[in-house]
Amino acid sequence: MGIIECEGKTPRQINMAIKALIAAGETDIRVCHPAAHHNLGVALTVPVRVMFEGSVGYYCGGMGDGPTIAVQGSAGWGLAEGMMSGTVVVEKNAGNGAAAAIRGGTVVVRGDVSARAGISMKGGTVIVGGNVGYMTGFMMQKGTIIILGDAGAALGDSLYEGRIFIAGRISELGNDAVLAALSGDDERYLAETLAPFGYEAARYEFKKIEAGRKLWNFDKTDFATWKVAL
Amino acid sequence: MCGIMGYIGKTERQEAALGATMLRMLTALGRRGPDSAGVALYAHRADGAYHIRVKPGESADIDARMAEILRRVRTAARLCAHAHADEYLRLTLDSVSDPQALQESIESVHPDIEVISFGRALDLVKQVGSPENLEQRFGISRASGTHAIAHTRLSTESRIDLSHSQPFWAHGTLDVASAHNGHITNYHKLRRQYEQRGVRFYTENDSEIIGIYLCEAMQAGATFAEALQNSVQFFDGSFSYLAATASELGFAKDPFGFKPLIVAESDDYIAIATEEVALRAACGADVETWEPPAGTVRTWNVYQERDKHVPSPVLEAREAVAP
Repeated sequence: MGIIECEGKTPRQINMAIKALIAAGETDIRVCHPAAHHNLGVALTVPVRVMFEGSVGYYCGGMGDGPTIAVQGSAGWGLAEGMMSGTVVVEKNAGNGAAAAIRGGTVVVRGDVSARAGISMKGGTVIVGGNVGYMTGFMMQKGTIIILGDAGAALGDSLYEGRIFIAGRISELGNDAVLAALSGDDERYLAETLAPFGYEAARYEFKKIEAGRKLWNFDKTDFATWKVAL
Repeated sequence: MCGIMGYIGKTERQEAALGATMLRMLTALGRRGPDSAGVALYAHRADGAYHIRVKPGESADIDARMAEILRRVRTAARLCAHAHADEYLRLTLDSVSDPQALQESIESVHPDIEVISFGRALDLVKQVGSPENLEQRFGISRASGTHAIAHTRLSTESRIDLSHSQPFWAHGTLDVASAHNGHITNYHKLRRQYEQRGVRFYTENDSEIIGIYLCEAMQAGATFAEALQNSVQFFDGSFSYLAATASELGFAKDPFGFKPLIVAESDDYIAIATEEVALRAACGADVETWEPPAGTVRTWNVYQERDKHVPSPVLEAREAVAP
């Protein structure tokens, strides 16, 4: 186990220390006192385990391809933004734009997330144990968002593809986001996906949200819909 | 970018350390706003005195300008102390019959003159430069008090000088101040409407309009909380802002969640800041933080928060901030 003490280090020095341990063959790294610094553990492209023993700032785990990142505290904006593969688990809350534009992997936030989680997702899975804020899943193109708590306004606004499962209340669906029936496959998927993170799907009653596909093609006779959506 | 931060201390220990807490938060967010730094500190002052900070401006004949300001103050109020250092003339008044008329009288001495801060609970200091400079020049870490808001500025739209720095005291209304991160995009339209009604703007900074709106709403009968709540629809653009009066502190976030604002609340304090690093600097490493959803408005009555914690008499403010 490699240990990095953040006290007295800049974010760049912390990231360089992580990369130096990886280069030396370390597969398990503990980062002590991350103190909510920004950009920690970005662009890690090997299957290394990194544990941040505290809160992290913006863009933690961004652009990752393969690492397993654990954050024992909260995360700021842009958690795991642009991730290709791997796992990021945050024990507490996350700010705006969690899992923005991820292409793969799994992002888990056990607490609440603020606005626009999963914005423009192109794959992967987002699991939120608490509530989600405004415009969750905005313009998502692929992948899955699972919400165990409640959702703020404009849930799934303008999503092209992908799906959102939510157990709590929906304050308002976004443009062209529609409720769909849950299939047996969906239920199996939820059980299998949630179980590794200690959540029991059977304890929740999920609703499913998909694209209504009204915004897929421009139709000038349907101009009013576009005017609202844009 | 800009950084904003607010703090309410619920115990005597938190109150005694208010200035030091604000300095730690300002320093943590200094890199978000290297252009200027400022803090609006509130304290319960048993003497009931009025505290004014005037920017006399620059002039070859600054002594004559000062003398004229002091002459006008003495005719309108009981002046008990005054001091001039750097860009501030600081005045302490025992009593004043019409604060707004006095402000206008001071400012009419010369167009460069601006009353930067006026209140019975409020003392607002700001300057071009870093939080470290703010501490060196005003010793803010020695201040005690009930609550405070502060700002570090990265200028995007308007010039960098003392007047354009934040927090803004809401001219014309004692003790009201605001600190804003973001951009009010309907500022020019709103400003024209206000100016047609005779409201004076002191800067080209869009953030100045927040205090003007809040004071007008409260004068029309809205509570502090209602004024903040209504502002979320009144303003367009991106904003997270903090506002405070002698007894209340609150924040408002735009309906789209364009700007960050993180909150930490415990039995001892309420701390609010643009980034978690400031909350950690203020409250320690084990602070529990949370980002409220887009469109959220919250206000606290500072004295009710205190009473929930300790039913002891209010601390006397220490003389803290240097002239």
